[in-house]
This record gives sequence, structure tokens and C-alpha cells, in this order.
Amino acid sequence: MSTSIDIRSVTKTYHRGGEALRVLDELELQMAGGTFYALMGPSGSGKTTLLNLIGGLDHADSGEVLVGDEDLTQLDGSALAQWRAENVGFIFQGFNLLPVLSARENVELPLLLAPLSKRQRREQAERALELVGLQDRMDHKPRELSGGQEQRVAIARAIASDPQIILADEPTGDLDRTTADSVLELLQRLNRELDKTILMVTHDPQAASYAGKVIHLDKGKLGRIDDNTAAARN
Amino acid sequence: MPWKLLFRNVLGHPMRSVLTIGSVAVAVFLVCILHAVTAGLRSTVSAASADRLLVQSAVSLFVDLPLSYQQKMAGVPGIEAICKWQWFGGRYEQDKGGFFQQFGIDTDTFRTSYPEISLIDGSYEEFVKNRTACLIGTELAEKYDWRVGQTVPITGTIYQRTDGKAWEFLVAGIYESSSPSIDQQTLWFHFDYLHESLEAGGASGPEGVGVYMLRMAKGTDPISVQRTVDAMFENGPQRVNTTTEAEFNRQFVSMLGDVPSLLQMVGGAVLFAIFFAVLNTMIMAGRERTRDLGIMKAIGFTDRTTALLLVGESVLVCSLGAAVGILGGLLLEKPFQAAMSSFIPAFAFDKNTLLLGAAIALGTGLISGLVPGWRAARLTTVQALREVG
Repeated sequence: MSTSIDIRSVTKTYHRGGEALRVLDELELQMAGGTFYALMGPSGSGKTTLLNLIGGLDHADSGEVLVGDEDLTQLDGSALAQWRAENVGFIFQGFNLLPVLSARENVELPLLLAPLSKRQRREQAERALELVGLQDRMDHKPRELSGGQEQRVAIARAIASDPQIILADEPTGDLDRTTADSVLELLQRLNRELDKTILMVTHDPQAASYAGKVIHLDKGKLGRIDDNTAAARN
Repeated sequence: MPWKLLFRNVLGHPMRSVLTIGSVAVAVFLVCILHAVTAGLRSTVSAASADRLLVQSAVSLFVDLPLSYQQKMAGVPGIEAICKWQWFGGRYEQDKGGFFQQFGIDTDTFRTSYPEISLIDGSYEEFVKNRTACLIGTELAEKYDWRVGQTVPITGTIYQRTDGKAWEFLVAGIYESSSPSIDQQTLWFHFDYLHESLEAGGASGPEGVGVYMLRMAKGTDPISVQRTVDAMFENGPQRVNTTTEAEFNRQFVSMLGDVPSLLQMVGGAVLFAIFFAVLNTMIMAGRERTRDLGIMKAIGFTDRTTALLLVGESVLVCSLGAAVGILGGLLLEKPFQAAMSSFIPAFAFDKNTLLLGAAIALGTGLISGLVPGWRAARLTTVQALREVG
């Protein structure tokens, strides 16, 4: 069953240099489960902050962040960590693989938190790497991979523990167009074939075109939501 | 706990890890050596016999006492035997840079006064019978490959023969000692041989006795004997200072200054320096790993696990250093023992020394890891990921 996301009157303010900066301002937003969302908006509009709140990486000052049945604002640090391990996969712009581990070991990392045997972990990591087309690069260290391959490993890591939600922060920001397209196609496939709820922050309209819906944020508030039917048809 | 990641992080910077492990190893090795030296010195003092007193000049150990004192002291109640000790200060002809002790002693009272000494080769009777005979310790025999029946040439630095030749001593026996207060690298010869050579003009050097050993009868009050002997020579010609053997050993050690305290201070300084070196390394490692810690937290690892990862890394590095240091110490124990046995017969890496080395390394690792570990635990995921770029 896919997981919906419900943001209710969420406010988040950062304090920098004695100045209060309200990044999210009473934001209301509902996202259906099993949908590929792109999150767009100018710099400072609150995209990454919203992503962090939905991923349980940060706390809202007020309001409710409901992911499935869980209100993340009610969870403490260790409960949030456990919730993240079970429910969310992250993909970052800079790939963020651990350089000392091989591709397989990087993908196995989140599985260490699941009650799995060593063999099960290995098999699950290998399945995830096969899914992203890197079955022949499993033992390579990140420095031995191209940018596109690194991001594929990061995607494999994000899906290895079979989370319902995948959160991606500018996943194609460091990639060339062709590689970026192949990564976006992969995300699209994960959404369509595995019914994952995907929320992707991007500045790139072409990247956003791969999403089913495009959420526009402006100064911490919801601007509009575009239904990207062309992408949906594809 | 992601153990593989912990090991990989250590292996990920091989040069840094090797240097840190090396510095911990050297520190542990040094601390073990220093501890073995101080423990050896204390052991030498504490192993001293309770029924032996030593009489030396009240002025200095380097001032000889008159020969006539022996007869006077023999009449003191409670004294069972007297043995003269005279420092010879010679050098082996074929190893003039090597050091070992030689003493002229009274052969008739020496054996009964030092029951901790036993012969493993040769015979004491032969030693007594032959005026130029000597007894040597097992380590000395091993060091120069000397055997019973061999004549060994010793050049005197204090006592020189007038014919310009070296003194010749016939090895009559090889001894071993069951007490750390007697080392296994000493050569004992007849005091009379030295004395008679001086008397006959065959040798030159100071006449007299360096130290008289007084063996007391069972049940004798040593303080009473000490007071009697000291009072006996109060008006000269040479005032004396009578001490227990333990006190004599302690004074001998303290001639080098407060060696144990000095060594402990050196050991402490070494540890202090290494602690900061390891701490600095671990803080650097923790900072470099900020991004990795952020990723791990985002994936679902707790603050505690990320902190333990750094503490574990520090402890692992220091444990490896301890293992190398202790292993090095064990491998070099014998050569060190051989080099030091003349000064510190009880020098040894005992269990306590090894445990101390391991405990210090583990403590250093733990404390050095706590600082970056604490920082890692406090670091929020968002902060850590923001530092990515």
C-alpha cells in the first residue's frame, strides 16, 4: 500500500545572525501515495526544508507532518531515526556514498538496520543494484564509478530496504543531460512499477517533466500544483 | 554497529592509521620499559635480605674502611659472619666497552651469607681452594661464552698490576641467583688475592674495604647491631653508617636521583603527548567524516551509533598500537634484560606491565574517541548534510 503525505499548517523558522527567517509559513499540502512529485520553486522558497520535514530529518516549529499514519512531529530523535530506516529512502545531489565502501556495501548499509541475515542483506543489495543496472559494478568503490553510476548506486541504496517513500534532493544536479535523463527514467520506473511515492526537489523543468505532478512553492507557501499529464502518459 | 565501516574507516587512510598506530605503539613500548625499570628497581630493594646489614663509610660509599674493622665488629653480639666486599672496577680485555661488576669477597663467609646463590656448574670448593679463582653469573658466562676452567683476563681500572698485565681469574663456578637483589652478571673473586697483591707490591690501588656485610644470627635485633657498630667507630679513624640491605639498595638506587619518579614523569609526559596526538587525529577524522555521519543519520542510524563508530575507531587504532607496542616489548625483553641486568636484575615485562600498557592504550583510545563521538552525536542530520556543500 502506497503512503500519502499530509502537511498541515506547518511553519518552520531558521535563526541566522540574530535574524528570524520563516522558510515555511503555515504550509498546507496533501500528496497522494504512489505518485511521483516534483517540488519546484525559487531558492529560499522552502523546498529542501519541506523535504527534510517529510523525511524526518528536521522538526517543524508548528503544525503536523503526517506521513501515512505517523505524525512525525510527535516522534523524538531515535524514534525518527528508526522511522526513517523503515520508511524513507534518500537520494542527494552529491550522491553521498561512503567512499570506503564498495557499491554493494553502500547499498547494504541501510539493511544493517533491518532484522536480516548477512546473506539476506547481500541478496537484497544485489537485487537493488541489478534493478538500477549495476550488477557488473557491485564491488567497485565510488571513486571507480562515473557520476551517473554513483547516483544509481545511491538510488539502489534508497530502495534497498523497500521504503514506501523516496525523497530526492536535486538528484540530477551534478549530472549531464543524458545521464540525468537515465536517472530520471529510473525514478519514474520505480514509481510506476514499484508504486513508490517519490518527492523530488529540482530547479530543472525538464527533470520536473518526469514527475506526475509538480508542486510549486513560493516564499514558504504553496503556489500551485501542476498535473503533468504528458509525463503521466509517458 | 556497522563493524565493516569501522574497519574500513581505519584502512581508508592507511598512512594516517599507520602513523597513529606507530606512535601509540612507541608510547606503549616506552611506558612498558619505564614501568619494568621502576618495578625492577623496587623489586631489587624489596627482595633484599632482612638478616644482612651493610657497613659503609659514613662519608661516602666511595671511601674505603680499614681492614682492622672486621675483627672489632666480629665481637658484636648477634653478628654471625662478616664478608668483605671490594669494588674492583675492571674491564674484560676483549670488550673494554662492556660493563659488569667485579667484587673481591671473603670466600669463607660468602656462600653461607648468600643462600640465594647456587652454583649450576663448577664447585665452590675449587673456588675456595684456588687463590685466583672466581665465580661468574650465568648471564655473564653466556655473554662472553666463558666456561668453568677458563682463565679470563680483566684489566683493572682502580687496581692495576705493576707488571702492566691484566689480572687473570680462573672461572671455578657459574652461579644463578633466585633473588632479584643479586644480578647474574657479577664476577666474584678472593678479596685476599687482591689484598695480598697490594701488600706484595704486585699491584697498586687503594687498600681497605668498600663495604662489610654483617650476617646476623636468627632473632637478633638489627637496630641494636646497627647502633652498636656505628657507635664503635664514632671516634674514627673512619666513621661508619650501618644499614639494612634494603636501605643500602635504596640508597644505591637513589644515587642516580629519584629514578622511579623521574621515569614516571617521563612516561606521563610521553602519554600526555600521545594522547593529544591521537585526540587530534580523531578530531580530524570526525570532521572529515561529517558528511558520512550525515548520510548515516539520514539512512536511520542513531546518534549513539554514529558516536560509537568514532569511539570504536579510536579504540581500535589504539588497541592495534598497544598490541604492536607490547609485542615489540616482548620481543626486545631479553636484549633489554641483558643490557640492564647489572643495574636492575629484576627488570622484566611482568603481567602487570603488559596490562598497564594495554590499559593506557585503551584509555587513550576511549577518551580520544569521546570528543569527536560527542560531536557526532550532537550533530543534526541537516547540519551534517549542509556541510556537504
